Amino acid sequence: METFWNTIADYNSGTWPLQIAIVVIGLILTLLLYFRPSRTVRIAMKLFMIFLNFWIAAVYYLIYCAPREYNGLMALFWAIMGGLWIYDLAVKHASLELTGKHQSFAVVLLVMPIVYPLLSLALGRTFPMMTSPVMPCSVAVFTIGLMLAFSERVNIILAMFLAHWALLGFSKIYFFGIIEDYLLVFSLVPALYIFFREYVMAHASGKSKPSAAVLNTLLILLCIIVCIFFTITLLHQIKTA
Amino acid sequence: MKSKQELTEILDFITEYATYLLGSGVHTSRVIRNSQRIGVSQGVDIQLSSFQKSIIITAHDEHSREAITRVVAIPALPISFERNSDLSALSWDALDERLPLDEIRRRYEKLIAKPRIDPIFVLITVGLANASFCRLFGGDWTAMGIVFTSTLVGFSARQQMQARGVNHFLVFIISAFLASLCASSALFFDCTAETALATSVLFLVPGVPLINGVIDIVDGHILIGVSRLINAMLLIICIAIGLSATLLMIKDSLL
Repeated sequence: METFWNTIADYNSGTWPLQIAIVVIGLILTLLLYFRPSRTVRIAMKLFMIFLNFWIAAVYYLIYCAPREYNGLMALFWAIMGGLWIYDLAVKHASLELTGKHQSFAVVLLVMPIVYPLLSLALGRTFPMMTSPVMPCSVAVFTIGLMLAFSERVNIILAMFLAHWALLGFSKIYFFGIIEDYLLVFSLVPALYIFFREYVMAHASGKSKPSAAVLNTLLILLCIIVCIFFTITLLHQIKTA
Repeated sequence: MKSKQELTEILDFITEYATYLLGSGVHTSRVIRNSQRIGVSQGVDIQLSSFQKSIIITAHDEHSREAITRVVAIPALPISFERNSDLSALSWDALDERLPLDEIRRRYEKLIAKPRIDPIFVLITVGLANASFCRLFGGDWTAMGIVFTSTLVGFSARQQMQARGVNHFLVFIISAFLASLCASSALFFDCTAETALATSVLFLVPGVPLINGVIDIVDGHILIGVSRLINAMLLIICIAIGLSATLLMIKDSLL
């Protein structure tokens, strides 16, 4: 646990100017996608996502998280997600065009990287030993926000990676007591439900079974199971506090 | 007595029927029995030899002494036990009701046009099945959750790659690697991580070729049985390669 927060402190101390620059670029690109969308902006956003994922893999995990066990595995996990964005850029899979659906929720997800450090401060942590906007969980939430707001066609494998990351967030809360990860779980579970519901509806046809309604019920059932896990985690936190 | 034209039509249908069954994961004896049953319903004798990629089929009319032989490739189709069962029932209907060829074909077209299981439904249920395997092998709840989402990653990758026609050995290596890589995140937590890692790739085990291979050998179809087993073994080796790639990265702990 001490190693965990020490590596975060080292990372924040060593990269805060760059993190500010990344946040500013991300903010500009997101605003441009909303208000001045163009082919160049869409390509720029995909390049930004590639950079962001490889940044987490290389700078965060490989360099600053070197004292942690299995940091190479996590680096590879994020590098694969970066690779999926490269594939997306090459085959022009995700359109990054405004979908017009779930806009309020998508905005909440997109600003979540800023909420992360605020929650850390509210919990009494101080710089540099606090969560920051360019960390794995904030990037995961930002990614799903981007997918919800701007893409009719999204990479299903990328969504599955994010679902896996959300589950790891649960385990981190349960085992290590990282309260900030509640934000990840709170936002990713409903976001992934909406994402899969949209995916099911978009792909539903008379040529497959069960019907979209049955699949939707199954998704709701899965979300209820996740919520039960969530409640157990919360109770565990209260008991240990 | 059948004319050559009639015999050709019967053979063409039975060939399509037999290759469809073989492509959908039915063992050889059952395909031969079903095809011969339809042949009997049409008054012709059917003889069939099956290989891994193709079949040789002959239709023979005893009255006219006419015989026609075809060599046809077996298509690669998704495995569907429901469809296999429906098509077997069709062969019984053809015999019991003495259906004419046109009616058999009409029913066959209707059966193969039935809706397939939605890929998302398959994805979720495979994830749940693999998580259950984890539990059966002694995994705890955290490990089960991790295996569930790891399977979602691995299986969605498999579905996407198969849809794009990627070589299936490569598909198995990459899927096994991705699933085990995700499952290795269990090592961070106080849970049954080894069980999670070991069971994360079980969704890839080629159960149908293994079972069919054994049934074929037992039934005396040694060639195709051995071919199926070799194919299954190659896939298992691919799973091992993918899993080993993950284990090599966490070598200090497991390898």
